[in-house]
Amino acid sequence: MAQTASRPLVEQASGGTPIVVSGLVVAFDGPPVIDNLDLVVDPGAFVSIVGRSGCGKSTLLRTIIGLEAPQRGTITVDRDRARIVFQEPRLLPWFDVLTNVVLGAGDLPDARERAAETLALVGLSAKAHEWPTRLSGGQRQRVALARALVSQPRLLLFDEPLGALDALTRIEMQRLIENVWSRQQFTALFVTHDVGEAVMLSDRVVMMDRGRIVSDTDIPAPRPRRHGDAQLATIEGRILDLLLAGGS
Amino acid sequence: MASLAYGPPRRAADPRAVASRAATRQIQESRLARSRWTPLLVPALLLAGWEAGSATGALPASVLPAPVAVLTAGWQLTRDGTLPTNLAISASRALAGLAVGGTLGLLLGIATAISVGLRRLLDPTIQALRSVPPFALLPLIILWLGIDEGAKIALIGWSVFFPLYLNSYHGVRSVDRSLLEMGRVYGMGRTTLFRRVTLPGALPSILVGIRFALGLMWLALIVAETIAASSGIGYMANQAREFSQTDVIVLTIVIYGALGKLTDTATRAAERRLLRWNPAYGER
Repeated sequence: MAQTASRPLVEQASGGTPIVVSGLVVAFDGPPVIDNLDLVVDPGAFVSIVGRSGCGKSTLLRTIIGLEAPQRGTITVDRDRARIVFQEPRLLPWFDVLTNVVLGAGDLPDARERAAETLALVGLSAKAHEWPTRLSGGQRQRVALARALVSQPRLLLFDEPLGALDALTRIEMQRLIENVWSRQQFTALFVTHDVGEAVMLSDRVVMMDRGRIVSDTDIPAPRPRRHGDAQLATIEGRILDLLLAGGS
Repeated sequence: MASLAYGPPRRAADPRAVASRAATRQIQESRLARSRWTPLLVPALLLAGWEAGSATGALPASVLPAPVAVLTAGWQLTRDGTLPTNLAISASRALAGLAVGGTLGLLLGIATAISVGLRRLLDPTIQALRSVPPFALLPLIILWLGIDEGAKIALIGWSVFFPLYLNSYHGVRSVDRSLLEMGRVYGMGRTTLFRRVTLPGALPSILVGIRFALGLMWLALIVAETIAASSGIGYMANQAREFSQTDVIVLTIVIYGALGKLTDTATRAAERRLLRWNPAYGER
């Protein structure tokens, strides 16, 4: 049994890995969902993708992780060190919380110790031996985050992970995500339809419409950021205007 | 025949709902709802009525012997070894049939659910065979296998095959696809995915299949032993009929009932244990 106190397994920063997408086309029997898209994400950056429903942002994420096959174009990414957090927690209800996190560790040694530490990182050590069905929605999503983090990924993809949570839980989860990202320095690609959330969390907000990137905004504000910050609110307003103009 | 329907079992009523409903009614009704003796009331009254009928002569022993007479017959047959021997023979027949037919049904159900090729190859035939009532096969089975053990095990195996095939097939097919996707994207290989996602996900349905199979197992055993056997509980009943021993006949009926109840209770306990993660079954 490893001495968890003297040798933390998950604390050290793993660093990020870049994503390079070029000329990507994805289609399912019809017009392309992703239409000749280029995107470069720097290692360790936090990039959000916003857009209306059906703009192709989730499909882009699923194609990057390898769940959808591209018709054309290339994606350069280290999938072995990439993890995804879905909108639903997708925990296995027949395993307890800790075992669900262990599943994310793959073949790594000391998987259970790592899982226990990661569970502590998301503040759920006390629930390690509960059934997932007995947790609240926010707690389940934190377990899903722990399962994604336990392997120390270099790239973390988020597919609207907070979409189903209430407002307060969302803010807590945003802080948690920002916190672990700044400690572990993985690359984060965060899909959301909430512009405020994207601006709050990201170095850069990319807007998609009909399978293409239509705007790309850097968010230079220093961290940690506060909800209600005036500079962030101005940027959010500008992106929202673009989004509303593009859809009409 | 009701026992041939393979649909999902009825869920027990939510105890909280029952309690709150009872609380809004009168006191004597809520006592009936709360007491743990309530379920035993009707059987006790029936038994008392039966005993009274026998004691007063309203129920002649040639029609229905007194409960005490049935118990006595049971005790005597236990002491001379007849009952334990025949019980063991019947139980081993039933279990052998279940092992053969059930395992085959389980494996084929899972295989056809996973593999499109196997499904297209086997499922239409299995579905067609399912519409043949098991007992219609009896003359053919006797012709081929005689009245040996093989014939009885074949009949039981045939009967239990279908509920296990259908329910394990259905269970595997209805496993949440988003969980399978999660497993793949988190690097699980085919074997790991099957062991950790597919099989546990299909388990509730498989257990329903096992419960139906156990019901049909006893049914097939009774038919097989009544028609052609020289040992077993059914044979005891047949012998008793020849000699008009109604006490032994009633005894065998009670034993069949007890065996059915026993296996049903065992499967329910297994469900509670194996599906304790599921709020619909769990006890926590």
